[in-house]
This record gives sequence, C-alpha cells and structure tokens, in this order.
Amino acid sequence: MTDGPLLWYLNRGTGVVLLVLLTLSVVLGVLAMGGRAGRGVPRFVTQSVHRNLALLSVLLLLAHVVSAVVDTYVDIRWWQALVPWGATYEPLWLGLGTLALDVVVVVVATSLLRPRLGLRAWRAVHLAAWAAWALSVAHAIGIGTDLARPSGLAVLPTAACVGAVGVALVLRVSRALAAPRGDVVRSAA
Amino acid sequence: MSRRLRVDWPACQARGLCHELLPEVVDLDEWGYPVVAGTVSDELLPDARAAVRACPRLALRLVD
Amino acid sequence: MSAPSPVPVPDRVRIHPGPALLAGIGDGPTLAAHRQRHGPLPQVGLDGLVGLVDAIGLRGRGGAAFPFATKLRAAAGRRPVVVVNLSEGEPASAKDTALALSRPHLVLDGAVVTARALGAREVHLVLPGDRPATAHQVRLAVAERRDRVRFRLHAAEPRFVAGQARAVVELMAGRPNLPVTAWAPEAVAGHQGRPTLLSNAETWAHVGLLVLAGEAAYRLHGTPDEPGTALLTVTRRGFEPEVVEAPYGARLREVLPAWAVGSPALVGGFHGAWATRETLWGARVSVPGMAAAGMPLGAGVVHVPDPGTCPVAFTSAVVDYLAGQSAGRCGPCLNGLPALAGAVRAMAHGRDSAARIDELSRLVERRGACAHPDGTVRLVRSLFAALPEEVDAHRRGTCLAATGRQVAS
Repeated sequence: MTDGPLLWYLNRGTGVVLLVLLTLSVVLGVLAMGGRAGRGVPRFVTQSVHRNLALLSVLLLLAHVVSAVVDTYVDIRWWQALVPWGATYEPLWLGLGTLALDVVVVVVATSLLRPRLGLRAWRAVHLAAWAAWALSVAHAIGIGTDLARPSGLAVLPTAACVGAVGVALVLRVSRALAAPRGDVVRSAA
Repeated sequence: MSRRLRVDWPACQARGLCHELLPEVVDLDEWGYPVVAGTVSDELLPDARAAVRACPRLALRLVD
Repeated sequence: MSAPSPVPVPDRVRIHPGPALLAGIGDGPTLAAHRQRHGPLPQVGLDGLVGLVDAIGLRGRGGAAFPFATKLRAAAGRRPVVVVNLSEGEPASAKDTALALSRPHLVLDGAVVTARALGAREVHLVLPGDRPATAHQVRLAVAERRDRVRFRLHAAEPRFVAGQARAVVELMAGRPNLPVTAWAPEAVAGHQGRPTLLSNAETWAHVGLLVLAGEAAYRLHGTPDEPGTALLTVTRRGFEPEVVEAPYGARLREVLPAWAVGSPALVGGFHGAWATRETLWGARVSVPGMAAAGMPLGAGVVHVPDPGTCPVAFTSAVVDYLAGQSAGRCGPCLNGLPALAGAVRAMAHGRDSAARIDELSRLVERRGACAHPDGTVRLVRSLFAALPEEVDAHRRGTCLAATGRQVAS
C-alpha cells in the first residue's frame, strides 16, 4: 500500500485543497475582519469561518505531510517536515513547504493563546500568515509535479488562489487609503 | 453566582461581535459601542465567555 | 479644533494668608523659611503615619475626596512609588499653583515623609504643562532639598485630563499623557505594576503639615468630625483668581471674598455643579455637607459668572471645551461628548433639547476609561437641578439672564 499511487494522489490532492483553503482563510482575514457590526453576514460568523478554515487547513496539512513521509516513492523523512533543510528530495521546494508549515504552526499556536499574548504581540505574529501563504504557493509551484507539466487541474486552482489574494490585497489597500483618518465614529487610537 | 462584563474602552472599536453573541446583555449604542446591561447569569455564562474570546480587540473581560 | 476654556489658565494668582497651610506665606517659599516656621521633618513609621491620617480622616484634594489612609495602606507593598500631582489640569483651579508658589516645601515634606515611611526611594512630581511659573518654582524648591530620596520631575501635557491618575502613570512610563483602562487601582498596581501612591499636591501639603505640627495642632482648625482646612480657588472673568484657605465647618459666605457672595456660582470646577445664591448662602465648607447639598466641593473651585451672564450659555461653553478635551480613546466619549455639547448648545440657542441631553448623558456615563464624561454629565445635570427656571426659559426660546442674549461668561 505504501508504494502504490494512492498516497501520491492523497498528497497532491491534499496539497491543492490546502492551498485553496489557506487562500480562503487569508482572503477572509484581509477583507472581512475589521470594520463594524452591520448588515450582511454577522461578524462572528466570518470570524468563525476564518478560524475553522484555518484549523481545517491544519488537519489537511497533517494528512499532506503524513502521506508524503509514509510514501516510499519519494524519500522524505519525518524530521524534514519540520526542519527546512537537509532533505534529499527537492531540498529547496520541500524546504519552502516545511518553512510554511513551521509558520502555520506558530500562527495557529499564538492564535489559540491570544488572550495570554495581548493584542500587539499576537498581531505581529499573525501577519506571518502572509508568509505562510506565499511560501505555500512557491512550494506548490516548485514541487507540485502537476504544475511542472502543466495540467489544468492543478494550474487553474493555483492561479485562482494567487489572483484572489492579489485582488484582496488591492481592495484592502485601496480601502485603507480611501478611509478618512480620524473619522469620528470610531476610536482614534 | 453572576459576573459582570467589563469593556476595555480604549481597545474597543465597535466591531460588534459581543452584541451578536450576547444580545441579552450587550446592546449597541448609536455609534456601535457596547452598552452592557446588568450581570451575566449562569445560563448566559458560556455565551459571555464566547463573546470575550471572539472580541477581535480583546476588549471584553469577565469580572466578578 | 477644540474650543478654548471659558475660564483661561491664570498667569497670576492672589494668595490670601490662611490659618494652617497658608500661614506665614509672607516669609517666602524658601526651605530656610519653611524650616524656621515648622522645624525639621520628623521621621515617621508607616503605622504611625497611617494612624495619623486615619485619625483626622484625611481625604484627597484632587476632586474625588478619596480617604488617604486607604490609599496609603494599599500602597504598602514591594517597591512603592510616591507621586505628587501638581498638574492642575482644571483651568479654573489655582490652589496647587498657590502651594507651589508659597508653600512648596510643605508639599514636598508630605511626600518625603510618606516615601520614607513606605520605603520608597523615589518621589515623582508631575508639573503643569501650561503654568511655567508654577513649574519653575517647584524646580527651585526641589533643588533646595537635601533628602535622601530621588526626585523625578515630569511635565504634564497641557490638557484637562492630564492629571487623571492613569494618565499620570502613562506619562511616567514615557507614553502619551492620556487615560487607559485600569484593572486595579494604581495604589495597588500603577507605575511599572508597582504600588503607586498618587495624590494631589494639596493632599501632600496636609500630610506634611500634620506630621510637622502634630495632630493636636492640626485639629485646631475645622470641626471634630472634619478637622483641617481646604484650599478654595475663587474666580471671575477678567480678574486674577484668589486662593483662600477655609477651615472645614466655616460658613462659605464668610470665607469667600465679598464680591463672590450673593450670586449663583459653579462649584467644584468644570466637573462640578451649579449652586444657587440661597444654597451658597447657607452652606458650610464640608465635603459630605456640600455633597449632600448637591454642590460637591471637588477640587475647591468656585467660579462666579458676571452678573447678567446666562448660566445656560456658560455651561454650553464649558461643555464645548470639555468635549474638545476628550482623550479620544473611548468611543462613547469621543462621539458622545461632542453630541452632548451640540445638544446643550441647541438649548443655549433657545431650542428644547432636554430629552436629547438626557439621552446622551445616560449614554456617556460610566462608559470610558476615566471619569471625564461622568464629570461633564454632572455639570449638565446640575444646571437642570439648580437652575430649572433658566433651563425652562431656554426650552421656551427665551433667556432670563439679560435683555440681549449674552453668550459666554
């Protein structure tokens, strides 16, 4: 079983879905957080979805890593999933993925411990979620064999993810530039 | 035993999640800021804790 | 952007000699003159000091009248800090300035003896940001001292809320001089989390006098239930403020200057309350007594508007100023006070905005990191309580004060 194609498909499948989920999480974090209670979807719902997407991503990440390590088709050791160097299989691209995992672990851990950390420290670490996403994209493009020999099934979602985050960023930046500073109906701090 | 919700006013930015999760105790004023009415009864304690956890600004605390 | 204070910060003050704190001010503010009159500063242990201030029921003179003994007990912990609040953020008040100019060493003695009793090595002084003469005098006085405590001087920002306890603690930490939420009193956990005994300059002067003169001498003035004296600042437009020392229990009409008697006045400063002629005529200087009469003594300011000044218009000018002095950190205050100012202004212009004033008052009270909105509401409510005929006239579109409508004091 460990040397059939099942694990390989599992690994690539979880990889693509993971990228999509991470992207959704980032887009929600960028666009839907902040602002006040208002019409539309209640804030606690978007917050919940954001958190649950992130936690689901962690589970999928676990499956993604396990399937890669257990599979004997490529030589990936357990520790190479946590330490971003020393791998024999695609050391650079694997290392980026490992780095992404490390960052995800730190971001999730700090979020679970947010009340203890205080807002400023938590936010500083949470911004690293961007890095985790970017590293994941690089990892996907570099090591994702479905992308090396362009197969529509993998290129399309990846391109869509990159596009979505790009659009979200632009929207967020333009919103920040447009919003007048010192608008009365919020704290000046 | 009931407890009170206290708002850290400089941190609060009227995001409104506390009102969404605990409308029985937290109302919103005309500018969107929480108006805490009364104490939190035992049945509402889980919702109150959820509201405290959900606040994106960590501006809500449950005190005795 | 923000409205100016209807009572400007004074650059001169007239200090009347008094029976206790302000005794012998003619001798000058030097350390030598002070020691000549009061002798050396005794050493007092913490229990002894607590006993002394408890016996006379010493209350803070910063406006809240908090029992000093309670604060002193709470501050007895590890590495306590002693802070003298001389920032005098209330523009109409000049009593702390009067002490700085005439009796600085009484204030410093009080702080030093307490620091020694607590085992604190530092005494912090918060100087006003908008009264250079006051700050200068304090620096001169500190330079004369030879105590074995370190004096650390801070300059408050020139704003109304600069003297608020947490705002002072923020200033001491090098952060903006603005209030933050306090999860514990600063006497328990203040500067750097340490027990911080922060009190008004006049409070420290009373501690100093009590230790130097002894309880028996301190009790020569005041009443058996309320021993001691209080400094009052009496102000009117166009004249320098006058600072008088009033024994507790004395009739207010006998301690106020003659020109101040016989008209309604704003008592307690901008966070205080309006008082009618009759109330003032019968009142005695007393913290509980004046609180019961609806005009809390607060920081001891008595502002007498010019005859013919409309109190509604004056209140509106004060609320405009107070709204502009919001630290801007708490939504209800940042939004609510300007709205309240607008509603009071509408009433000053002859419109019936009483319902909106009441609604906004209830929205801003107790919803902020400090008591700035609460004090503002107290002022506005006192207008309705003490001067209802004036308010009713305005609600009907007229004004009792003058034939033409005057706006500010």
